[in-house]
Amino acid sequence: MSDPVAEKVIATLASVKRIPADTIKLDTNLQELGIDSLDVFSMVFELENTFQISIPDDDVRSIKTVNDIVEGIRKLLAAAPSGASPNSAPTPAS
Amino acid sequence: MPPRRVAVTGIGIISPLGSTVEENWDALSHGRSAIGPIQALDCSKLRFQNGAEVRGFEPTKHFPGGKEDQLDRFAQFSVVAARAALHDSRIELTPELREGCAVICGSAVGGQAAIEKGFEDLWVLGRGRVHPLTIPKTMANAGASHISMDLGLSGPTYTVSTACSSANHAMGQAFRMVRSGEVEMAVTGGSEAFFTIGMLRSWEAMRVVAPDTCRPFSKDRRGMILGEGGAMLILEPLDAARARGARIYGEICGFGMTSDAHHLTQPTVEGPARAMRSALRDAGLAPEEIGYINAHGTGTPGNDPVESRAIRSVFGPHADKIGVSSTKSLHGHALGAAGALEAVATLLAIRNGILPPTANYLGRDPECDLDYVPNEPRAARVGAALSNSFAFGGLNAVLAFRAVPD
Repeated sequence: MSDPVAEKVIATLASVKRIPADTIKLDTNLQELGIDSLDVFSMVFELENTFQISIPDDDVRSIKTVNDIVEGIRKLLAAAPSGASPNSAPTPAS
Repeated sequence: MPPRRVAVTGIGIISPLGSTVEENWDALSHGRSAIGPIQALDCSKLRFQNGAEVRGFEPTKHFPGGKEDQLDRFAQFSVVAARAALHDSRIELTPELREGCAVICGSAVGGQAAIEKGFEDLWVLGRGRVHPLTIPKTMANAGASHISMDLGLSGPTYTVSTACSSANHAMGQAFRMVRSGEVEMAVTGGSEAFFTIGMLRSWEAMRVVAPDTCRPFSKDRRGMILGEGGAMLILEPLDAARARGARIYGEICGFGMTSDAHHLTQPTVEGPARAMRSALRDAGLAPEEIGYINAHGTGTPGNDPVESRAIRSVFGPHADKIGVSSTKSLHGHALGAAGALEAVATLLAIRNGILPPTANYLGRDPECDLDYVPNEPRAARVGAALSNSFAFGGLNAVLAFRAVPD
């Protein structure tokens, strides 16, 4: 996969749930992976640091699939001022 | 000896709605919410800016001569509320009564502000030491201990810490100790004060705080609003209260507690339902006798439908005849003090014949189908009521109250 946002999301999911990354596909439903609301919060916390974005609470509640996360982050990155990227140093999102 | 009946004969409260019983009732009975922009600290960079704060509290007035420095704000609320409750009860403390009086308090996070100040000194300001009273100010039992010392009450004294159910667990314990005859009197309730940047950031990270306001059971609700405060009740045997001609606010007549054994933050229907049934059974009340429920009603998307289903599963068709309101829409969610603030609301609702409303209600959520007393207070004669508290960690504690006619 050559999409850096999707790769990072899948790597973060794999790390949070301690599962192999190759078991996670874009259309995977998070429930199928045994991911509950607390896992989502932890995962989003990591992704916010990585991408230097802040994901609104209402958006987090509507996440159902891996692709929902990827698309949500793409939208926020497109709206963010230049400089935010997957390779930026992690800083607290505020 | 049959179990004794347990009367509430004194109330002390300091909450976002006011620092007297009268001020609190005036706000509750008119549905006037204390939710507004948080002033204690700068929240401009948080996802939420609103809270329910205790305003105008002057520690020096209550703890002169530098004594205030020995108590974290949560313990100050405990003592101020306990003093007011004792004064309100007009009870005469004999040496025997002092020894036979329990002090049982609830607090979820204790003196977090004190330890946070210590961490700031160490890690932000680079100081090599912290204030010498950091430990005794932080300990969760500080509220109960200071009440005991301040009022000279030397019976069983401890703090119960079960997150948002803390105060209900504490009052339930105190109720049972008075009922069984283990103690002759109790000071019991809860207090909480946690408006620090570390605590607010931690709540923000949980993603359960609303960016606007608290709309329990309503469509378009977006979460809870955090609050602070403290309330203490004086409990004594009903016979003793009548014998001394005390003013009786009402009776605590039952207590039920259960655990979901399920999930850290997602409640079940069955756990809260079993707690309500247990409280009814303990009180010897039929479900049809309940006319009001002060709901846990946090205003989060998760709690409110589950609590509604739990109430329906306990009460069946009678659920439609019960006024169910969440006063958290008025005084915010004070965590370990919540049950105490809501016990006061429930007792006064029964005594005064007015149900405080669920404020900020915008309209029906199809998943929440009970009568939530939306936006407007309602005159209603209620013989018995429940007050629900459900905590993170799946811990449920429900108190049953009954009117005691003058």
